[in-house]
Order: sequence, then C-alpha cells, then structure tokens
Amino acid sequence: MITTLRYIITNLGRRPLRAVVTALGVAVAIATVFSLISFQRGYQAGLKADMDRLGAHLLVVPKGCPYDAASIALHGATWPCYLKMSYLAQVASTPHVAVAAPVLMSAIYLPSSEQVVYCGVERNILQLKRSWHIDGSMVNNQAAGPSPVEMVTGSAIAKAQGWKVGDVVKLPGLTGKMGKITGILQSTGGADDLFVYMPMARAQQIFDRPNQITHILVRLDDPEKMDDVVSNLRGCDAGMDMNVVPLAHLYHTIQALIESTRLLLYCVALIAIMAAGAGLSNTILMAVNERTREIGVLRALGASQGHIFRIVWSEAVLLCTAGAVVGIAASIAASHPLEAWFRANLPYAPTGALITPDAMLVIACIAGAVVLGSIASAVPAGRAARMSPALSVRAVGGEV
Amino acid sequence: MILSMVDDTRTTQAVVRAHDLVKVYKRGADEIRAVDNVSFEIQSGEFVAIVGPSGAGKSTLLQMIGCMDTPTSGSLEVDGHDTARLSDGALTKLRRERIGFVFQHFGLLPTMTVAENVAVPAMFSRKDVRGRVDELLRSMGIEGRRDHRPPQLSGGEMQRTAIARALINSPSLLLADEPTGNLDSATSETIIELLQTLNAGGLTVVVVTHNDALANAAKRRVDFKDGKIVERE
Repeated sequence: MITTLRYIITNLGRRPLRAVVTALGVAVAIATVFSLISFQRGYQAGLKADMDRLGAHLLVVPKGCPYDAASIALHGATWPCYLKMSYLAQVASTPHVAVAAPVLMSAIYLPSSEQVVYCGVERNILQLKRSWHIDGSMVNNQAAGPSPVEMVTGSAIAKAQGWKVGDVVKLPGLTGKMGKITGILQSTGGADDLFVYMPMARAQQIFDRPNQITHILVRLDDPEKMDDVVSNLRGCDAGMDMNVVPLAHLYHTIQALIESTRLLLYCVALIAIMAAGAGLSNTILMAVNERTREIGVLRALGASQGHIFRIVWSEAVLLCTAGAVVGIAASIAASHPLEAWFRANLPYAPTGALITPDAMLVIACIAGAVVLGSIASAVPAGRAARMSPALSVRAVGGEV
Repeated sequence: MILSMVDDTRTTQAVVRAHDLVKVYKRGADEIRAVDNVSFEIQSGEFVAIVGPSGAGKSTLLQMIGCMDTPTSGSLEVDGHDTARLSDGALTKLRRERIGFVFQHFGLLPTMTVAENVAVPAMFSRKDVRGRVDELLRSMGIEGRRDHRPPQLSGGEMQRTAIARALINSPSLLLADEPTGNLDSATSETIIELLQTLNAGGLTVVVVTHNDALANAAKRRVDFKDGKIVERE
C-alpha cells in the first residue's frame, strides 16, 4: 500500500531531468568536500608515516634547499652534492645525539625507465629503523673489495627482480657488479621497499664517492633537546657546509604549505555547496508551485501542515542524499587519477595513499548533505505547509 | 455492501449547523462577501445539493463545511464541533476522520495506482486499509483497475476512484464539489446513482453543482446566489 516514501520517490520521478541535474549539483559539491578532506587526511597520514619510517628526529644534509634534500632522502634519488664523511664524527659527538647513521644514496635509471636506489649504510641504521623486519640478516660493515657486495633489499624490488635470500645477482644498472642478498626487508609500505641497502664502504667504492655521504639520519636521546642539538650542530665546524633539518619542523612546514592551498580549495567547495543549496531550494520551490493544487487536495484528505512540511523536506533530503552518494562514489572512483595528478603537481608527495576515504567521512558527508537539504528546503517546505487548503485546492494548473 | 462503509451509529442529529455565516475575501481595497449571513442545518443522512451560478459562493460554503476554510464571522458546527474553536491541527483531524472530499478535477495523484490513490488518506492516519481498499474498489466497480494509473482511466473511473478515496476513512459527511462537472451525461448518471446509493446507505452527502440532474437527485436543494441562500427545498 502507499507509503509516504513511495509518494516522495514518485514525486521526484515526475521531473527526472530536473531531479538529476539538482542531485548532480549536490554531487559535485559533496565530491569536492569529500575529496578535499580525504586528501588532507591521506596527505597528513602519509607525511607522518614517511617521517616515522625514516626513524630520525633530524636530517643532516648538504647545503641547499632542505625540502628538496628531505624529499630525496625520503623517496630516493641521486643527490646533487655530498657531505664529507668526517662530519659524521662531529654530529655523533654532539650532546643528546643518540644515533647518527650515515647514508650514501645513489639512484640508477634503468633502460626500462625504472630506477634502482642504492643506499650505503652502516649497521647502526637498525637503531633508527626499529620497525624493520628482515628475512635473513642485515649487511655487515663490509670493507671495500672485489667480492660480491652484501645487500639487504626492499620487498618490492626483490619481488620485481625475483631475488631470494642467498642469491648472488647482477646489480641492476651497475655493469659487472655482483651482489649477495643477505636479507630481504618485509614490506614497510614506504620507499624502503624499493631501496637496496649495502655496506657504506662498498657503496662509496662502487659509486666512486670515497669518504663522502649524502645525508646523516640523527636520533636524539631526548627529543625535547631538539633546539639545543640543532643549535650545536649549526655552530660546529661542519655547520657551514650542512643543513640541519628537524623533521618535525619539516612536517609542519609542508603541512602549512598544503594548508594554505587547502583553505583556497575549501572556499571553492563552500561556493559549490552554496550553489547546490540555491539550486536545490529553487527546484523545490518550483515543485511546490507546480503542485499547489495537489497540496490542497492532500490537505483536504487529512494531511496536516506537518505532513506537508515533511513531504517537501523529505524530497529535498532524498535528492541531497542521492547526490551525496553519487558524489562520494565518483570521488572514490576518481581517487586514483586524482592521486596521480596530485603526485605530479605537488612539491612533496608522501609515499602512501594520498587520498584515504573512510566510513566516518562517508557518514559525515551524507549527514552534511542532509543538513544542506534541510536548510535549502526550509523555505519551500514552510511555504507549502502554510498554504491555505481552500485557496490551494482551487489553484489552476499542475498534474492533479 | 455500501451500507457497511458508513458509520451506522450516527443519529439524525444535525451534522452541519451554520448560524449567520459570513466569509469575506479581501482583494486589495475591495471586500468580497463570498458567503453573506447564511444560516442552515444539514441533518445526518441528508442528500443536499447547493445550486447556483458561478461565483455565487457555493464552493466557499462547501469548503467551510469541509473545515478547509474558516468563517469570517458567524458560527459553524461540523459533526458537533464548533470549527471557530478548533486549531488547524484539530480541523485537519476532523477532515481526515469525519469528512470525505470529492473534487470536480478528481484530485488523483498521477504517479500512483488506483489502489494507492484510494489509500492516500490512510498515509496520514497510518491505518492499515488494504482490506478496506479492496472492498471499496469492488463496490465502485473498479477492482479491475486497481493497478492502473489515473491517466489510463476514463473520467467516470477517475471519479469513482476519488469517491472511493473519500470513503476510505468511513466519514460521516461526503462533500462533492461539482462531481459531474468534468463528465459526460451518461457517466454523470452513474456517478449520481452512486451518490444516491451511498446516501441510501446512511451517508450524509452535500454536493455543489450546476447539473440539474444531480440537483434533482438530491433530497434537498439549496439555491445560492451572491453569497446568500435564495430558496430552500
């Protein structure tokens, strides 16, 4: 038998094109908001995860743009300049520095346009990478020599190359060089999965960078002493040649950069929401005007003002909810191409998913759409409810 | 069959009692006295036809009887309730439970089936009326049309559907505004017979009409002109 919901749904079906266009307006607004918030959360979480995976409180890099240097350290690439290995001792001896782990990073581009990132490290890197789980064993601090270089590889590159622990393999991109895989990292979800770690001395030999490193990962015994440590490092003999980048500051600086763009985008989203609300309000007003006589008939048949208000309000809310569902679905469907676009255009993009929608956000967006529908329909629904039954039943036109 | 549709606990008391009833509409600076000092009673079980030219105030009077409009002055009792003392909600309840409406334009919802249209008043009273709908559709001879939509019906079928809808809540008063106004004479005849049958079953029927055949079929004819009753009986 007839239910109010069925009546409301069939009402929307009377002008399908108008209903679809109105719902699409809401869909665009909700998709914008949903994508923005998903991106904000994903970016924030990804950036934090990248920093955490690095395991350091400070990054000591050569002079230059600290953000470029941090990005290279996090994602892997060939560095344009180097630090002297001798700086390591000064860094390590600074008060409150618990671990100073040197890295020599070099990226080799293969003919297939993929890149392999080699990192020369010392065993103390394990004191930073506490989340690492290695199948096999970590490389030793192997001295330079002709024997195959010991390697620990990321899980992704090991899988791509078909490497197993104990294999002796040709090093991709390095003609004539052989490596022995002592261990394979279990998946970290970050850039480490694509890196190849080898002893520092062997890396310096292979890449012809004697006594040079690209950066130093520093962990403090007390993160509260960050300012003191930074001050001491900048004031030491090597301070003129290196940048000291506190990762927490880097995190906040990048966040602030993204935040300023986000505010602008939120303004765009707000305009989209207001436009959708105005469109919805107009659509519902038109529907109420067209159905004046029908509303009069319903009042004559026993509908109260509250019934009429709820019918009109429900139509608006249903349109908004449908629009929100479509918008959210479209936003999720478009997340991969959007993410690719973001990665191509952002100065720094974390390794993990940039857009992370979740159930609570879906519920919040649908609730937001219900609020939008409620606000937009308040005037037309109130107007419909207040119509005089006697006058409205005499109205000319409409389908009833 | 039809007898069972009406409330047989009704007595022969006045269902409608109007005293010095006035309805004034304001259009700009002008005042239009659509109903002008009208007093009358309609007893339970009567079949009354209100007849008069267009603009005489018949429909306004019918709407006041149907609690869709309130008088500017005077008193109006419907089913024992002084309508001037009732809130909008109470008037709505009275309309829903005690009054059935039939319109010249049928007032059927175009996207709903015949059965759903008949059940529309129950949408507001939240009653389960499935059995009652079937019974009414059979009584009106449109049970074969229950799943059709109004555009698929003839004028007579649409008006039968509208009458079935008016009866769904077992009202004590059926009000019909030009119920044959959009029908040909043969179809009008069947609707008139239907209204007579309902009245014979005890239902109080008040119609506003231009149709002489319908006016003559009523037990009482009230002529209305310029907002006043000009002749009775």
